[in-house]
Amino acid sequence: MEIPYIVTPRKDTGLINSKIAIWLFLASEVMLFGGFFSAYVYLRMGADYPWPERTLPVLPGLINTFVLIGSSVTVVFAWAALKMREWRKFQIYMGITVACAALFMVLKGVEYNVKFHHQAVRLDDYSVVEGHLGYELKEGADAHHPNADDYVKDHNGDKIEENMIRVKVEKLTFATKRYYAEWVDEMLSEADHANAKITLEADIEATTTEGGKMKVIAKKGEPLSLDLLKKLKDVQLAALKHNAALRTQNLREQWVVAKDANPGKQGWEISDDVSINMDDITPLMLSEVPSATFVVNPPTEFLFKPRDIREAEGSSRLRDDTVVVGELEESPMVFHNVDAVDFQWLVMKAEEKGISPEAAIENSWLMKNNAFVREIWAWHLKRNEAKQKDLNEQYGFKEDENGKPTETPDRVLTHKELYRIGWKEFRDYGEETKGVEVSAVAGLKEEFMGPNYKARGAETFPELSLPREEIRHAAKFSPAWNTYYAIYFTITGLHGLHVIGGALVLAYYLFFGRKMYLENPEWLANRVEVGGLFWHFVDLIWIFAFPILYLM
Amino acid sequence: MADSIEAIQKSKKTYILVFLALLVGTVLTVLVAEAPTWATWLQWMDVGEHGFDKYDAILGLLIATTKATLVAYYFMHLNHEKKAVYWIFGSGIVFVLWMAFLLALAYRSPINDYLFYK
Repeated sequence: MEIPYIVTPRKDTGLINSKIAIWLFLASEVMLFGGFFSAYVYLRMGADYPWPERTLPVLPGLINTFVLIGSSVTVVFAWAALKMREWRKFQIYMGITVACAALFMVLKGVEYNVKFHHQAVRLDDYSVVEGHLGYELKEGADAHHPNADDYVKDHNGDKIEENMIRVKVEKLTFATKRYYAEWVDEMLSEADHANAKITLEADIEATTTEGGKMKVIAKKGEPLSLDLLKKLKDVQLAALKHNAALRTQNLREQWVVAKDANPGKQGWEISDDVSINMDDITPLMLSEVPSATFVVNPPTEFLFKPRDIREAEGSSRLRDDTVVVGELEESPMVFHNVDAVDFQWLVMKAEEKGISPEAAIENSWLMKNNAFVREIWAWHLKRNEAKQKDLNEQYGFKEDENGKPTETPDRVLTHKELYRIGWKEFRDYGEETKGVEVSAVAGLKEEFMGPNYKARGAETFPELSLPREEIRHAAKFSPAWNTYYAIYFTITGLHGLHVIGGALVLAYYLFFGRKMYLENPEWLANRVEVGGLFWHFVDLIWIFAFPILYLM
Repeated sequence: MADSIEAIQKSKKTYILVFLALLVGTVLTVLVAEAPTWATWLQWMDVGEHGFDKYDAILGLLIATTKATLVAYYFMHLNHEKKAVYWIFGSGIVFVLWMAFLLALAYRSPINDYLFYK
């Protein structure tokens, strides 16, 4: 079939059809991204926590901007080359464009990867600690240069992240309706590994037929299995369904009786007196088995991810409503490397209550319990003093109405400078006070990948063990951490998908365009122009995304 | 679009100039936001208060808008396009601005105060 108006313009629009199409698409894209940028504004204005300003590494973002701008130029040059029927030049320019797209995605991938392995935690007093958790090591292993066999392994042979809730489990009570099969499997495997048995605590009796007798459907001592739980689940669901139907039926009958007994009255007038007659239906009901309790013998230590469990002394609850009875053991969150301590939020909360920032920081858990934090905080204060002095020298002091300088400095340090000790401060602290040195290459790498724990070691990025009860909220630097990262991943992720999509189309023209070039070069030129329009648009979005997400 | 060979030859120079302008714009945006402490001769970049504030935001977004306009105008050929394109793309932008306006209304309305922690 001949596609109309792909080389010669349509008379009424004056354009080829594909161009109309791409502009319609771009208009819809403007609205899509406009929506997300509005969401950003909304989230930022509504944030009830210190918005992370300029928190991302600027250098990779800057390079990515250059890369995208450069590829925008090469894609127009590729189009121009086609217009002038220079195939070779087209290949070169388009090749550069696609290579730029790949480079962009690689840098983005590095950035994302760093985020996904970087832990943040907010303590009960609103101080924030950031860093690297690492895995549990055997006693005596070198924390900064561990070998493969230095790690403690779990029942699956996997390394254990030092962020697990440990419970010495004595009893497990599964909610028959909604237990999570994968976790059950996991527990079975964990118990098996520890040579423990998980068996039913007591006989479960139930009537499974209407008017039938109670009989044992699961015997005491029966081992836990998915089949057993499935059987109980089926009994429970069947009973729920059957009993609900009985109740509905009985209520309907009661209404008929009530209506007959009160002719001429409205439903709402008699509704108080109508209820299900349980005496009628109780003999017909099936027994419900909402839960099943199993005994773990001997009591065994199970590991749970913090997000799966609401831990408590004695009896904890999993997300699938499984009740875990047993002794809650010490389950600290252990940072192998702390790379930032942030008091901005704590100060914000303190100021709301009228407490002075200094007092709040002095009384924070970190300052009271960690010598390193105290040292670096003292160093940080001194450094800020010097910075303020610099500002005073450069900008002087505010003038009063007579034009005389007052004691108030014209420029003051920002909240972030005052109350956040970021990884660059940790780096400088290590270099200044402890003489830690790294090579220039490692230093440059840090600008892309963040702090280099291996090269700088514990002198710069110390270990920290946080007791579980001090932790209010913990997450990797993912959308779960705060709304900033949520919108950051939404916008950059969507933009990244556009980069991939655009690059695929442009690469298709590059690698499979030769035949079309020989048959109908103008058509290919038009295609490249349309693909290029999309590519420019992707660049255009980045031009806004970069300052908004990286610089503000 | 029936661009003549000469017109394309000529616009190539423009593309290079625009490219350079975009690079400069990008560096400017970073300098405005970063308020470089390592170079005294760049201190004037630290507009408004010390560090990031609304003036930096406005200036940064102005530069970004200028860059975006350059891209749209030259690279996307909006300097010589048919009417239909302006109508289509313009309507998209109008709707975004309309949405932003509604957002401003929501921000002003006391009923949404709890959303903005006022």
